[in-house]
Amino acid sequence: MSAIIEIKDLTKEFKVLNRREGLKGSIKDLFSRNYKTVRAVDNISMTIQQGEIVGYLGPNGAGKSTTIKMMTGVLEPTSGEIRTNGIVPYANRARNAQEIGVVFGQRSQLWWALPLVESFKILKDIYQIPDEKYNSMLELYGSLVDLEPLLHKPVRQMSLGQRTLSDILAAFLHDPKIVFLDEPTIGLDVSMKSKIRKLIQALNKEKNTTVILTTHDMGDVDALCRRIVIIDKGKMLYDNDIEHLKSFFGSYRTLKIRPDGELSAQAELIGKELPNFSVTADDEWIAILVDEDKSKVIDVLGQLQKSHKIKDMQLEEISTEEVIKKIYEEGVS
Amino acid sequence: MKKKGLGFYLRIYFKILAQDIKSKMSYRADFIISTIGMIFTNIAGFVSFWIMFRSFPSINGWGYYEMLFLYGFSLVAITPVQCLFDNNWSLRIAVYTGDFIKYCFRPINIFFYYQSEVFDIKGLGQLAFGIGTLIYSWNKIGLGFTPLILLKMIVFLITASLVMIAMQNAAAATCFWIMNSFYVLDLVTRFKDYAKYPVTIFSPVFRFIFTFLMPIAFIAYYPSLVILRPDEVPLLSWLSPLIGVVFFWLSYKFWMRGALKYNGTGS
Repeated sequence: MSAIIEIKDLTKEFKVLNRREGLKGSIKDLFSRNYKTVRAVDNISMTIQQGEIVGYLGPNGAGKSTTIKMMTGVLEPTSGEIRTNGIVPYANRARNAQEIGVVFGQRSQLWWALPLVESFKILKDIYQIPDEKYNSMLELYGSLVDLEPLLHKPVRQMSLGQRTLSDILAAFLHDPKIVFLDEPTIGLDVSMKSKIRKLIQALNKEKNTTVILTTHDMGDVDALCRRIVIIDKGKMLYDNDIEHLKSFFGSYRTLKIRPDGELSAQAELIGKELPNFSVTADDEWIAILVDEDKSKVIDVLGQLQKSHKIKDMQLEEISTEEVIKKIYEEGVS
Repeated sequence: MKKKGLGFYLRIYFKILAQDIKSKMSYRADFIISTIGMIFTNIAGFVSFWIMFRSFPSINGWGYYEMLFLYGFSLVAITPVQCLFDNNWSLRIAVYTGDFIKYCFRPINIFFYYQSEVFDIKGLGQLAFGIGTLIYSWNKIGLGFTPLILLKMIVFLITASLVMIAMQNAAAATCFWIMNSFYVLDLVTRFKDYAKYPVTIFSPVFRFIFTFLMPIAFIAYYPSLVILRPDEVPLLSWLSPLIGVVFFWLSYKFWMRGALKYNGTGS
């Protein structure tokens, strides 16, 4: 394994006009040079190895797109270093583009009016793909997805799922070293999502392509990523294995009970009984987030049964989604 | 990786072009209606031209057929911008919605990639109309036909096209900096209508504007002087091929500067 992307102390700042409110403010803004500096990406460092699938996560506006744009050579960093394939992307946009593939969720990059196979042929020329490589790639595609119905259909007439599939195939066509996937499964149904995940996984395995995946769908993360990187407000919060993350929070389980009586009043009571744990109530359940390092769920349940009449209970393992939500909210301590 | 020269780009262009025409032809009704529309637009332009000349037999020393020549010349000169650079009209929307970013991810020239996407086939009807008008007025004026004059004609038509393309590129590229660039583009297109009149009929102020600020005088007037008035060609006419190339180059640089500073929208 060798490093394919190296990022060191990367920062990107934008200058934004301080906008005032109302019509009067807008007119004043016309003549104002009152800018503030916003740090979209703040001192990020990471190294990504050839063949990794990295989940790049963060809430909306965290700076994910900005980082991707810098890695693809569209944006110039304010400070810090990026190297992809050993070159500086912004200074060598075209050369860098030869070695990467990009899929932006709902924006197709294919020629709208053309059947997919014609788009492929144009891409073959643009990336100067030799015949034998092109043909073997199509063969591989044929073995992974039902290619025939896609090939002769104009992109314009495709369903969102078919279009996403086609866009992913097009991004891998020139056998790039890195593929950036920005929310590839957004808006798709469950079966299409799983199809696309399988395709990405197969292509990564077959071609040892590095995949940088940004998504809000934890299903994508669970299915594809060994490693995840989380950023928020431009700052790196987490960069490690997904297993590590789960074990980090893994000792938490959520116990849900439904006792007799009014729920919110009961919840308050239980909260007093269990001062160490967070207790919340909704319309149906009282949820107790139990840290199993402190006491076992079964003991908590036993204790509660002494003082309350419990009609029903549920136990929930913590999901990646919740872990990440927790990180967004509280950070890794 | 092989070097990407002119041959590389031409091959890709014609591939996209062939596919694009094929897919457009498949919408037959659309194709026929827009072709008819184009013919009527041209006929209407010609009729208003003809009516005007029934009232004024000559404008500032320019006779009917000379004016007709200028008219045909500007039609032919406008064809390349219409056929090959029509995507400039959509640039504003691509930039505003963020779709423009996709042009930044391919290992080819962004300007080329963007413009190659649209070929407006309707411009060809205009070309036929313009050539017809040119040949007709050519005969009536009795210009004669020598290889030299043909060469001049080609050089100066290319010049005129380059100026037109440059103006449109520059106008379209303003959208990288301002929101409502449509009005800039629209303004330039409207001014283009004045290209078919000899610049000498305007007041000195407009003559200056049309020569140096909004250089529409180079679309038909200065180049066609070389053909129509070979005895009194001003220096600006001889310089116009150079000016055309320089304008085009500047507009390309301006366009690319905008494209490279493009950040896209959030996603």
